[in-house]
Amino acid sequence: MLGLSYRTAPVEVRERVAFSEVEVRERLGQLRGQGVCDEAFLLSTCNRVELYGVPAHGEAARIERWMAQHRGPRGESLEPYLYRHSGRDAIVHLFRVACALDSLVVGEPQILGQVRDAVKVAEESGALGRLLGPLSRRCLHVAKRVRTETAVGRGRVGIGNAGVDLARQIFGDLVGKRALLIGAGEMGREVAKALLSAGLAELLVANRTFERAVEVAEQFGGTPIGMDRVADYLSRVDVVIAASGATEPIIRPAEVRAAIRLRRYRPLFLVDLAVPRNVDPAVGELDEAYLFNVDDLEQVVERGQHGRSQAAVEALRLVEQEADAFVVSLAEIDVGPKIGALVRAAEHMRELEIARSQRLLATLDDDGKKAVDAMTRALVKRLLDEPLRAVREAARAGDAARVAQILAVFGVNEDGGTGEGR
Amino acid sequence: MTTIPYILVLLAYGIVSFVHLLPGVAPRAVEERARLLVMVGATVHLFELGGLLMFGAVAPGYPEALSAASFGIAVAWLVVARDRLSSIGVFLTPLSAVMLGFALIAPRHQVAAMDADPVAPSLAAPIHLGLMVAGLAGFAVSFAVGVAYLVVRDRLKRRKLSGLPRLPALETLDRIQFRAMLFGFVFLTLGIVTGGAWAAWSLDGGSWVADPKVWFTAVIWLWYGVALQVRLVAGWRGRWGALFSIVGFTGMVFSLVALDSLVSGFHAYGP
Repeated sequence: MLGLSYRTAPVEVRERVAFSEVEVRERLGQLRGQGVCDEAFLLSTCNRVELYGVPAHGEAARIERWMAQHRGPRGESLEPYLYRHSGRDAIVHLFRVACALDSLVVGEPQILGQVRDAVKVAEESGALGRLLGPLSRRCLHVAKRVRTETAVGRGRVGIGNAGVDLARQIFGDLVGKRALLIGAGEMGREVAKALLSAGLAELLVANRTFERAVEVAEQFGGTPIGMDRVADYLSRVDVVIAASGATEPIIRPAEVRAAIRLRRYRPLFLVDLAVPRNVDPAVGELDEAYLFNVDDLEQVVERGQHGRSQAAVEALRLVEQEADAFVVSLAEIDVGPKIGALVRAAEHMRELEIARSQRLLATLDDDGKKAVDAMTRALVKRLLDEPLRAVREAARAGDAARVAQILAVFGVNEDGGTGEGR
Repeated sequence: MTTIPYILVLLAYGIVSFVHLLPGVAPRAVEERARLLVMVGATVHLFELGGLLMFGAVAPGYPEALSAASFGIAVAWLVVARDRLSSIGVFLTPLSAVMLGFALIAPRHQVAAMDADPVAPSLAAPIHLGLMVAGLAGFAVSFAVGVAYLVVRDRLKRRKLSGLPRLPALETLDRIQFRAMLFGFVFLTLGIVTGGAWAAWSLDGGSWVADPKVWFTAVIWLWYGVALQVRLVAGWRGRWGALFSIVGFTGMVFSLVALDSLVSGFHAYGP
């Protein structure tokens, strides 16, 4: 697994690397088509881009080479922003991500939906196989367990509260203030909701599709406006929440400068939750414009996190347990075909011996034949009982050498073949 | 004028300044009673200063002027520094304490004008001085809040949002800064008018025209007038208001503390 997140890479870099759903499908096809990965799972949100891959022929270097094609905003290598995990660590990492334990806002609910969508996309692209298939399903299950069994996500200090906190540092209180929400995404709506419950007087909603703007506006008792009117309304609102999926900045310095003059230099508070960003960063340099992006909200959010660290520790313990359980189940899957081969080999031998004793057996009546058959089956089963238990145990302990050793005694080799040369 | 009551007042202002500058060092009991300390200090201060001026047959001189300014700022702190705004006390109480400290060690000089006017009405001096001090107190608050505004603005602009002592919101500071400046301007205007009336009545006109302090004060009055005007007409608020009040107040303090020793005029303190 390798990736970058808000912990390692600033928003400038993330907005360059973030993939849209269409791109994710494309990349998944590419990864498998070019023989980079046998299986692949790509998670791309505004806070992280992560690739979980099973490299083709076990050569991790193929993934590294593929990744090196991607570049930062100034054409620089992404190397300093990347982190890597493999084996059990990668599993733990995916679980932590899905459980929102690695999120900017620990316990936030969006990430689970984002992971679920990513799993669906990967499944539909046929990129999930014997390893990532069960793993991705497992991580959704673990996330649900963490949500129901620990306090993570309860009484949480979300991105909405961070927005309200910042607004209060600028305006004191929000009574009589007006806000403009651009985009209908979940994060934007959450901030708008928090501002409204903090006393906001009016909410305007703009969206790429006007119908959706009307829908969201109805939900909040706001007013929908056309996307083309955003610049006109900048001078009439105090707060702008930009969270649309636009790939180019919607709000530029010239418009904001004009709006500030019309506002007689009262402060304008802009929150840019979008990646890629919706507000040109140069806007933040204007005198009365106070612009914050997703990264800036992080430090505000962090203040609210101390109370939840205990819950997070608990959740982490659960994640570790689940990761162990998953590693065990993986090992069991690995050993399954070998056990099958061993059982088949023993059955084969039994049938051979029966065939060899055909002449002698012919003297018996049907009951006698049945009794011999049952007895030989029971004998084989009893003989294999103990070795099979030992193999499963060794597999569960991850002791591959011991598994191979026991199987070798019965003439079963690494590939699950019986090595009898026939 | 180092009297025991004055020393106690200075002690009270000093302790509160200390609490403001180094929060968490003094015992909680002291921090919680900062308001009470200043209130008692200011009351004693008022009786000591007013009593000396009105009944103690002491003509206003340099120490009295400083002491009056210190008192005005202490009262301003009491008015402004309630719960959430207490953080701006960082800029006010030390100012008050330092001014009083200066007043206590300053040489006893009488204002030249008092010599020129042996028949000065006993109320003229306290009224003129009192109005000026009220104006100064207003500008002191405007200055302190202006500095706080710039600090908060800087934090928001540099996105330093956590781990710092909480200050009031940007717009709240802007509003208080404007109101305090308006308050100061009104009292400065009244102070100038009473001063003018007093001069016209007791001096034979003419001589006050050449007084540097009068001119300097006129410039300050204009400066604040412009600050208020551009705000009301063009909406130049926030950072502009803060810068106007910081420069204006610096000028006022200069006028109060140093101007008279640099130039001579009838406001100047005689030998």
